[in-house]
Amino acid sequence: MKRNRFLLGAVSGLTVAVNADSFFAKALAAPALPGLPGGADDRILVLVNMQGGNDGLNTVVPYGMQQYYRYRPSIGVTPHDVLSLNAQVGLNPEMKSLKAMYDAGSVAIVQGVGYPKPDHSHFRSTEIWQTAEPDHIESTGWLGRYLDSANLPASNLFNAVAIAQVLPEALIARKVDVPAIPALQGYGLASDKAAGQRMAFSSLVSDGRAPFQSPYLATVAEIEDHAQRGSEELPKLIAGYKTDASYPATPIGRSLALAAQIIGSKTQTRVIYVQHGSFDTHAAQKGTQDRLLRELSDGLKAFYDDLAQHGNDKRTLTMTFSEFGRRVAENASRGTDHGEAGPMMLVGGGVKGGLYGEHPSLDDLDNGDIKFTVDFRSVYSTVVEKWFARPSQGIIAGSFPTMPLLA
Amino acid sequence: MTGSTNTPYRPAGTLSISTALQPYQGPWNKRLAAHLLRRAGFGGSPEEIDRVAATSMNAAVDALVHYPKDTGLPGQPSEMDPQYAQEVALAFQARSRAVDDATVQMQRMQIQQSRQKANLSTIGWWLDRMINSPAPLQEKMTLLWHGHFTSAMFQKGITPKEMVDQNWLFRSNALGNVREITHAVSRDPAMLKYLDNARSNKDHPNENYARELMELFTLGIGNYTENDIRESARAFTGYSVYGPLRGGAFYFNPKIHDDGNKAFLNARGPLDGDQVVDCIFRQPAASRWFAQKFLNFFVYNEPEPQLIDAVAEQIKKNDFQIAPVMSMLLRSNVFYSDRAYRALVKSPVEFVIGTQKLFGLKEVTPQAIGALNRMGQVPFHPPSVKGWDGGATWLNSQTVLARENFLNFTVTYAAQQMKSATMSASAWMPMTPSLSTKDTTLKLVDAILQGDAAPASMAKLQAYLEGDDSSALGQLSGENFEERMRGAAYLSMAMPAYQLN
Repeated sequence: MKRNRFLLGAVSGLTVAVNADSFFAKALAAPALPGLPGGADDRILVLVNMQGGNDGLNTVVPYGMQQYYRYRPSIGVTPHDVLSLNAQVGLNPEMKSLKAMYDAGSVAIVQGVGYPKPDHSHFRSTEIWQTAEPDHIESTGWLGRYLDSANLPASNLFNAVAIAQVLPEALIARKVDVPAIPALQGYGLASDKAAGQRMAFSSLVSDGRAPFQSPYLATVAEIEDHAQRGSEELPKLIAGYKTDASYPATPIGRSLALAAQIIGSKTQTRVIYVQHGSFDTHAAQKGTQDRLLRELSDGLKAFYDDLAQHGNDKRTLTMTFSEFGRRVAENASRGTDHGEAGPMMLVGGGVKGGLYGEHPSLDDLDNGDIKFTVDFRSVYSTVVEKWFARPSQGIIAGSFPTMPLLA
Repeated sequence: MTGSTNTPYRPAGTLSISTALQPYQGPWNKRLAAHLLRRAGFGGSPEEIDRVAATSMNAAVDALVHYPKDTGLPGQPSEMDPQYAQEVALAFQARSRAVDDATVQMQRMQIQQSRQKANLSTIGWWLDRMINSPAPLQEKMTLLWHGHFTSAMFQKGITPKEMVDQNWLFRSNALGNVREITHAVSRDPAMLKYLDNARSNKDHPNENYARELMELFTLGIGNYTENDIRESARAFTGYSVYGPLRGGAFYFNPKIHDDGNKAFLNARGPLDGDQVVDCIFRQPAASRWFAQKFLNFFVYNEPEPQLIDAVAEQIKKNDFQIAPVMSMLLRSNVFYSDRAYRALVKSPVEFVIGTQKLFGLKEVTPQAIGALNRMGQVPFHPPSVKGWDGGATWLNSQTVLARENFLNFTVTYAAQQMKSATMSASAWMPMTPSLSTKDTTLKLVDAILQGDAAPASMAKLQAYLEGDDSSALGQLSGENFEERMRGAAYLSMAMPAYQLN
C-alpha cells in the first residue's frame, strides 16, 4: 500500500517534456560520458535477487563444521562433492563456472550477511533488503535513493532498468522512473494502423486530464507515455549488438543476455535489476536449489564472457542477495524452512576476489538459525561509496563500515 | 505533462466516518450503475449498464447479493483431465522400472500436452464464467478469495482438478462465513500441497502453512510471534493429503499429528489445526484484516484507519458472515463517493473480462489468455503465496503495452465476429454514417467511458474521426468509415480513464 502511495509521488514528481525524443538523438551522438573512462560515472551495478530465500548453507557449504552434517542428514552436501574454497567452506558442486571465476580472482563472497532482529516473512524481509530499513517502513528503495542523488539526465528513460515483471522496491525513487521490462519480446505496440491513428493514440494515452479525480490517473498517463516512447527507442538503442557468448537457455540466462546488451549500448543505464528463483525450498530442496545455482553460475559466466568481449566487464559489478537464508536443520520434506543470515556474492568489475566476513557458527544458534556476522548495510555502503563514489549518507540510513571488497 | 514535483496527489472527497457506511441516498445514474457493475462484477455492455441505471441502487445491489443458485453454466472445464495426477504418478512408476528412453520421452510429451490442454481449458472455463454468469458478484468474490487464499496449478504437484475443487470451495462460500472458509481451506488438498503441509509431521513440522495462515490469510504481521508460528505448525501436523493413486483427498493422520500441549496466542492445550483457526478468529486483528482487504478490493486503496475500524466492527457484529457486510458496503456513501470513483486500477482480469463484456464477446480466446499472462495475472497461477499486489504494481512499461495490444486485437476480432453476427456490439457501435462526427464521438465515449473524457480528448477523438487530407489518415468517407469507427473505439479505450475501475 505504501508502495502505491509512493509510486504516485514518484511518477508525479517526474517531469518529461512532451516529444522529448531529442534526448535519444543526443544520446546517440554523445561523445564520451562525463568523468574519466572507467570512472565512477561509467560504472554499472547489476543486482541479482535470489528470490524466495536461498539456503546459504548449501550454497557456501561449511563442510568443515561437523554440526552441519548432524543438522542435514539427507540434504547435506558431502565433503567429497564440495568445491573447496578453504578447509572450512566450499561452493555447491553445481557452481563450477562460478568457482572458476573465483579462482581467477573475480568473485568476492561475503559470509553470514543479515541484520539484527531478522524477520522470517518473505515479504517483510524482502522489503528490508530492498529499502535497507529494518526498523521502519520506508517508501524508497536503496538504489532508488542512489539514483535520485546521482544527477542523472531526467530525460533518459533508461537510467535504470528492472528486468522483471514488477518494479522491485529497491528501484523506487522520488525523481527517477524505472521501467520494468521482463523481456524485449512483447515490449512494443502491435498496432500498425495508419500514422494518423498512431498520432491520435500517442496524445490520448498520455493525457491525464479527465472529468473526475483518481489517485492513479496521472500514473497511468505517465507510464503509458514512457512505455510508448521507451518501447520505440530501446530496440533502436540496443540494435546491432552482437555476442559470441553462449548463454544457457534459462530465464536467468536470457535476463543476463539482455542486461549485457543494454550495458553495451547507448542507453547510459546505471543500474540493472535481475530476478532469479524461486529459492523457497520447503520441500525436496536439492533438485530445485541445485538447478537454480547451476543456472545462475553458468549464466554469470556467459554474462562476463559477453561483457569482456565488449570491454564492459571492468565497469560492471554484479551483486547477489536473497531475503534470508534458511533454517539450519532440514525438515521432514527434505527441505528447509525460513531462516536468517546468508552469503552475498559480488562478481566482476573491481572486485577483490576472496572470502569475506566470518562464517556463522553452527554451535551458537538463534532459535535454530545462524546469527549474522556482517550487516547487509555494510555491503550496500561499500557499493555506494567505493563503486559509485557517492557518500552513503542519505542513501543508507545509519553508519556502517565499508569492506575492502573492491580494489 | 502530468503533475509537478510540488503537488502531491490529494484524494477527492473527504471522509465523514459517521455517514460513510450509511446508505447512499443521492441520484442514481449511468456512471454509478457502471461503477457498481465494475466493482461488484466485471462491468457490462452498454445495454446492461442502461438497464441497471433504470432501476434503483437498492434493486441493483439486491440483484447482485441475492444471486441465483443455479447459473446454468458448466460446472467443470471441458478438458480438465481428472485422471491427470494418476497418469503422472503411473508414468513415474513406469520410469523407475527400466523402460527404454523413447518410452519415457513419449510419456513425458503426452503429459506435457495433456497438461497444456487442461491448463487452457481450466483457465478459459473460469474466465467464461466471469463473462456469462448471472451471478457476477459470486465470481468476483471467488476471484478475491483465490487471490487471498492462494494456491497455484501445477506447482507442488497440484492438479487442475484440485484447483477447480478449490475454486468451488470459494464459489460455494463466496459470500459465506470467512472463518468457515478458513477451516475449509485448512483441509483443502491444493492448499495443503501448495504450502507444504501435506507431509508435515510431528518430528519435523513444516511451518509454511502455519506462517502464511496468520501473516497473509487472517491477521497480518505484528499480531503473533515466531513462537506462535512454531506452535501452530505443530497443531497442523497430520493435516495430510492422500497420494494421487489413492484418490488425493484430505485426511487427518493421527500417527504423525503432534497431540502434545501447545501455547498458541492466548490458547493453551493439545490444540489441533481447527482450534488454531478458531483462536485466530477470536483476535481483534482478524476482523480488521478482512475489513482492509474488502475496502482495498472494492472501495479504494489505503483506506483510512477509522473506516477500517468501522467495517471491522460490522464484520465482528455479523460473526464473520460476509453477505451482510458486502450488502452494506455496496450501498454505502463511501462506495459511491468521489474518493472511490475510478479510484482503483483495473486488474488484468477486470480489464480483459470488462472489455469482452463491453463488446458482447462471450468466450475468451487463447489470445486473451496470452494477453493476461503479459499483463501479469493468469487465474490459477498467482505469482506467489501473496497473490497479486494490485494497485500501481499492475502498471509498468510492459504491462500497459500488453493492455493496449489486447484492445487493438479485440477491436479487430470483434469486427470479424460482428460480420458473422455472433456479437451484439453493433447495438452501440455507431455504425451509421448518418450521425455527425460530434454525435459519434459522444456516443462512443458514452458507451465506453460513461462520458468520462475531458473536452480536449473528445476534440482529439473527433478530429481523428474526421481525418484530413494533409495527413496519411485521409478524410472520413464511406469507404473508410468502418475502419475509422474501429480505430475510434480503440482510441476511446486507450484513454487513461479506461485503465481505472
